[in-house]
Amino acid sequence: MEATAYTAQSLYTWILDESSNFLLLDVRNPTEFTRFKVEGPKPIDMLNVPYMEFVEFEEASVAKVPKGKPVRIVCAKEGSAKFVADILLNNGFTDVGFLAGGIKSWGNMLVPKLLADNGYQLYQFIRPGKASCSYGLASGGELMLFDPSRNVDFYQQFAEEKGLAITATFETHLQADYIAGSNSIAQATSATFLAPPDDFKDAQYEYTPAQDGDIYGFTQPGPEIRVLHTPGHTPGSTCYLIDGTYLVSGDTMFIQSVGRPDLGGKAEAWSKMLFTTLTQIIGPMGNSTLILPGHFADWSEANEDFAVVDTLGAIRNRNAAIYAINNEADFYAFIRDNMREQPPEYAKIRLINAGLSVVDDEEAEVMDLGKNECAASAGK
Amino acid sequence: MSNTKVDLELDLKGLACPMPVVKVSKGIKEIEVGQVLKAVTTDKGSLTDFPAWAETSGNEILDTQEGDGVFEFYIKRTG
Repeated sequence: MEATAYTAQSLYTWILDESSNFLLLDVRNPTEFTRFKVEGPKPIDMLNVPYMEFVEFEEASVAKVPKGKPVRIVCAKEGSAKFVADILLNNGFTDVGFLAGGIKSWGNMLVPKLLADNGYQLYQFIRPGKASCSYGLASGGELMLFDPSRNVDFYQQFAEEKGLAITATFETHLQADYIAGSNSIAQATSATFLAPPDDFKDAQYEYTPAQDGDIYGFTQPGPEIRVLHTPGHTPGSTCYLIDGTYLVSGDTMFIQSVGRPDLGGKAEAWSKMLFTTLTQIIGPMGNSTLILPGHFADWSEANEDFAVVDTLGAIRNRNAAIYAINNEADFYAFIRDNMREQPPEYAKIRLINAGLSVVDDEEAEVMDLGKNECAASAGK
Repeated sequence: MSNTKVDLELDLKGLACPMPVVKVSKGIKEIEVGQVLKAVTTDKGSLTDFPAWAETSGNEILDTQEGDGVFEFYIKRTG
């Protein structure tokens, strides 16, 4: 019997399907396992038995793996998962698979969700490995992207399958937690790269400044995209309002909590900016506005369809304690009380995203993995 | 660590996971307790995998050197 390869997409499907009763066996070392592991919208029966334990103590390690259900193994790249799969098959296990491409294929995977189909199509691309979301707006054969990840092949393939040309790619801010894809997409296609100048003024590449009040549209009549400067998470942070209804909110606001204004080392000044944004710009918006966030912290933020979107009204209720704050000082106190360390790689990712630092593909891959730490409060 | 007396050297350059750990696990059994094995790898994963293996197998990594994409491990057999 041979172990079979499975894809990250299949793994996501099995996690959603409660009838698929399988064990996820992660054989990476405990350090890597603790730093980043598979998470999904449903509970996963998961076990970490590092492959070095199988090398040293084969019998005892095999005994740790319960028999009777399919075993799906994950490792860093693929080799160790295959290695352990063969050991299990030699020890009486029958249904054993290994994740093709290793944990990074899970980390990079994007799941498209159709959010709106009103003459135009609005897609959310969820990246379960990062708990982040990018967006695609299609109209008249054109596709505009918002905050794409570095998985450029995915977006190009998606556009090709739908018969769309990528014409524009927008960034909401200079990202610190993942390597942004807009610059690569602009280079690989003829798409215009739009970004807020306050965050990108030092960038070492060409981009078109997206200024507050600007309106973008498609070649053919279609939905319009309004640029709203919403500083706070970063000084340049910008939201894009699509068709007056859908707000691509970046890291300004999430389903749960708001964006951290402390990542730039100026927590007090940026908190004030964020408070002004939430009260003056988001404040007057109607409860029916749909918020399309850049991240989520937990799958409890997803709806019954496993999409991460909600109305502004529901978000105001859910985060009543934050939205009830009516002065800068109390808002900063709330931020300060919830402040925590930021992952050490964020400083470097910012430089890469501005084109101020260049790393090889493998290093980029490693830095890009791991869940985001962008919400101001982690509590439920 | 250039002064350390090395009793066995393994060239594991170019090998991908899990082979460096598999080879080191074998190699350490070829030397006596108290002797030192030097392993040279190019797999970045060995930077966290070797310490995890050492802890599992009860051996001691004396030193790790990094340079030009090559990693050198000096491992004392203690287990």
